[in-house]
Amino acid sequence: MLELAIGIILGCCALGAGLAMIAGIGPGIGEGNAVAKACEAIGRQPECKGDVTTTMLMGCAIAETTGLYALVIAILLIFVAPGLLVNVLMKTIG
Amino acid sequence: MKKINETVKKETLYIAVFTVIFSVITEAVFLILGKWDLTVLCGNLFSAFVAVLNFFLMGITVQHAVEKDEKGAASLMKMSQSLRTVMLFAAAAVGVLLPCFNTVAVIVTLFFPRIAILLRPVVDKFRVGGGTNE
Repeated sequence: MLELAIGIILGCCALGAGLAMIAGIGPGIGEGNAVAKACEAIGRQPECKGDVTTTMLMGCAIAETTGLYALVIAILLIFVAPGLLVNVLMKTIG
Repeated sequence: MKKINETVKKETLYIAVFTVIFSVITEAVFLILGKWDLTVLCGNLFSAFVAVLNFFLMGITVQHAVEKDEKGAASLMKMSQSLRTVMLFAAAAVGVLLPCFNTVAVIVTLFFPRIAILLRPVVDKFRVGGGTNE
């Protein structure tokens, strides 16, 4: 029974981490679109290259934040949460 | 090897300076809370290096991407983002698993470049003086 409980905890943590990493898809698509549009803008007005690059760098970094949140949640679920939850289970059982 | 763009250098320097400032603040907070030890400093330094490296690599990718056509730029950026996410995952995993790094210090420091970017308008306003655009 204890093994089953630990297995469920580990499985759910891994499943949660996998689900959290779905959020990692969005930034890639968003950054790709942003850079594509920036290329278009630079093509139209080459003299604005510096300004467009600066703005895009900042925009890409902001867009990446959601991916980073997901990454941190996944890391915590994989490496930190199982240990804590198993400890709680052991204390509860005694 | 292509020359690194001045914009990328400037922005990376800005991010690096703010990451160092926020790292010092983090150390001070840990010190005030009485939970400071060497693992906090190690975790902070390691994570700050990874965060700035991630931003720098993104800058290099953007520099290359703006010289390509639309499709090529989009695919380059997507590939770069995936690879950088893998790098961050590996770095965060090392930071969490190794006992010589404090987990909280490692994870919090990864967010410092984003905080620096969010503070950018305020900093620009003070630097330029009077809020005029560059």
